[in-house]
Amino acid sequence: MPDVRESDLGRTGLIAVGGLLIVWEALGRLDVSMFVPPVTTVAAAWWQLLGNGTLTRAAASSLGSLVKGFVPAAVLGVAVGLAMGRFATVRHLLDGWVNALMSAPLSALVPVLIALFGIRDTVVAATVFMFSFFVIVVNTLTGVRGTEPSLVEMARSFGAGEVALFGRVYWPSALPAVMLGLRLGVVQAVKGMVVGEMLISLVGLGERLIYYGNTFLIAELYAVIASVLLIALTASQLAQALDRALVRWK
Amino acid sequence: MVVALRLVSVIAFVLLWEWAALVQISFNFPSPWATLTALVALVGSGAILTATATSLQSLLLGFGSAIVLGVPFGLLMGVVRPVGRVARVYLDLLIALPTAALIPLVILSFGINILSSAVIVFVFSVPFVTMNAYGGVRDVRPRLVEMARAFDASGPQLFFRIVLPSALPMILAGIRYALSRAFVGLIVAELLLSPFGLGRLIMASRSMFEHDRMFATVLWTLLLAGFALAALARVEGRLLRWRT
Amino acid sequence: MADVTAAAPPPVEIVVDGVSKAFGTVQALVDVHVRVRAGEFLSVIGPSGCGKTTLLKTIAGLIAADAGRVVVGDRIVEGPGRECSVVFQDFALLPWATVQKNAEFGLLLRGVPAAERAERARGVIAKVGLAGFEQAYPAQLSGGMQQRVGLARALAVNPQVLLMDEPFASIDEQTRRVFQDDLLRLWSEERKTVVLVTHSMEEAIYLSHRVVVLSPRPGRVHQVFEVPLPRPREGAGVRATAEFARLVDDLWKILRKLQ
Ligand SMILES: Nc1ncnc2c1ncn2[C@@H]1O[C@H](COP(=O)(O)OP(=O)(O)OP(=O)(O)O)[C@@H](O)[C@H]1O
Ligand SMILES: [Mg+2]
Repeated sequence: MPDVRESDLGRTGLIAVGGLLIVWEALGRLDVSMFVPPVTTVAAAWWQLLGNGTLTRAAASSLGSLVKGFVPAAVLGVAVGLAMGRFATVRHLLDGWVNALMSAPLSALVPVLIALFGIRDTVVAATVFMFSFFVIVVNTLTGVRGTEPSLVEMARSFGAGEVALFGRVYWPSALPAVMLGLRLGVVQAVKGMVVGEMLISLVGLGERLIYYGNTFLIAELYAVIASVLLIALTASQLAQALDRALVRWK
Repeated sequence: MVVALRLVSVIAFVLLWEWAALVQISFNFPSPWATLTALVALVGSGAILTATATSLQSLLLGFGSAIVLGVPFGLLMGVVRPVGRVARVYLDLLIALPTAALIPLVILSFGINILSSAVIVFVFSVPFVTMNAYGGVRDVRPRLVEMARAFDASGPQLFFRIVLPSALPMILAGIRYALSRAFVGLIVAELLLSPFGLGRLIMASRSMFEHDRMFATVLWTLLLAGFALAALARVEGRLLRWRT
Repeated sequence: MADVTAAAPPPVEIVVDGVSKAFGTVQALVDVHVRVRAGEFLSVIGPSGCGKTTLLKTIAGLIAADAGRVVVGDRIVEGPGRECSVVFQDFALLPWATVQKNAEFGLLLRGVPAAERAERARGVIAKVGLAGFEQAYPAQLSGGMQQRVGLARALAVNPQVLLMDEPFASIDEQTRRVFQDDLLRLWSEERKTVVLVTHSMEEAIYLSHRVVVLSPRPGRVHQVFEVPLPRPREGAGVRATAEFARLVDDLWKILRKLQ
């Protein structure tokens, strides 16, 4: 995983994004290409799609799949990561799979999921799960393994048993890494959501992308892309806020 | 012991798969054996090899361009800080964006052809290559730069003797991660475009309910990606031997 | 404020009886015999890697000896016990917990109720000179202050034995001297049995009744060095005396031959 540090979307961010939008608008007005519609046209299309309920319906379906896939991925991912971190047997049983699947092009498995579940939105939730699970496992595992041995020894010197050691040392020590995993995981989850929906092309924002692409409705297409980006950014901001709330001592 | 446990987990997986095929959790779920047979047949007939060649063409084109353009641009971002600060914003957005959403746009612009899927591969991988080249330059230890300055190093000397070698590990890590993203993009693109490559083979088998062939192609694709990533990791290890 | 040490149990003796320990092929300790008297301040010194830490952890019950045994009071050590507290070289503070919570940690693990925990922790925090810093996080403290938190945590459980592994190694010289005086003062108030591992000859002589010199790996007891300086030593200018200088020099002569 490349080092994607928290961006400082401060003034530079505003200027950069604002500048892009202005240039884009100008190019759109000059009609350089049908693929660069003016920002205002896209905004109007977005507003219209929002007004007639298209966008809200699609987003509701998408977010439903996102939650159905991500929540189990988070819970199971953290649990598996903790188990792998604490028990060498579990670690050796699973680390080959986790490492391989962590970087595997899991999008290839979507047709398999379709074969399993049929063309249903369950496939989308399953894709979300697949995309986010492994990064959560790996980060949790790294967090547990990174616990300072001297803290463990210190707790043992006061007579800490396995449970106390886990709850009072390993877990709090792994928490920042767990939160990082959830942050990266939720971004992956949104990617899974879009890929799954585009491939089953049945419901949600992904289906809208395919539809507007097929019908050459460029402004609408951009409006949906923007919505997807918005969901991704919001999800990652939420995860970051949770991180800050839980890991204040850093 | 460790090897034994890994072996156990692989055997357990195959048994689970076999069991899943036996109990018919879904009417179109082939057994591991059927999948393997189909894979052998696909290799024998050459169908999967032709498809692989086509897919690799777009992969190499897209991923190659991502490296050729992304690394220098990332380095530039690192060396010329104002460029870095601004471009960083767009990179962050591109990294957060579910890239697949751009596929319809790319198809509309470039048509249904190999170029299209190469462009998609490029868009999937270039942000990570660039970001890591940038991060690599930014993380160069200031002490090393000071040291070189103290020895009167010229600008190019500083860049080629200090900055580039320091940034290399991160650049290579970025390239490896980008390759895995490139495969994701390639497959999504081909599954959506469908007229060529491994994606077509998967979709065609699915529409003809030849699920053993479909599973075989998916398995082949995953193995191919795994092999490519492992090979790249080896190259990386070679280049970074000094890190022990 | 309640005096948390009012009911301090009397100090106990420690007997290290023929302890050997190997890590794989590395023989760390061979047949080590040490008897620490009840209420004694004993230092362990020796070349790097000779097994000082291993000896201390064996006494603490954190490492099981391959041969021989350790007796603390009337308990044969088979694991960490309630008599001992350890002060660690790297402080081993929980970075996510405040000074108060860190000082309470040992009490928490031993099941002391919250209210009593808080009160006892406040008492020891004041005793080590950190009153007012209860709500600070370790990252906000200097190295010397962090180690005071480590000491407070060790004292909070009211141990009969204090085991310290180079507690002052990463603290600057001025802070260290003040800290050493505070430690002597605390020791004379509470009379615990103390085992201190150190690299500093001055420190060993300034603080201890006796200094155990370990030989290079594999560690054995090379010599036990008596320090007949009168007490109390803190603040009495002991370091400036000829007697002190002579003792340091004698210890140095022993250690130099070991190199
Ligand atoms: N957990 C371990 N595994 C393997 N070898 C160890 C372990 N702990 C200690 N050793 C080895 O045992 C020997 C004694 O180690 P120990 O830490 O007790 O020495 P020490 O006297 O405290 O050294 P120092 O002065 O550097 O702190 C060393 O050679 C060390 O490498
Ligand atoms: Mg040591």
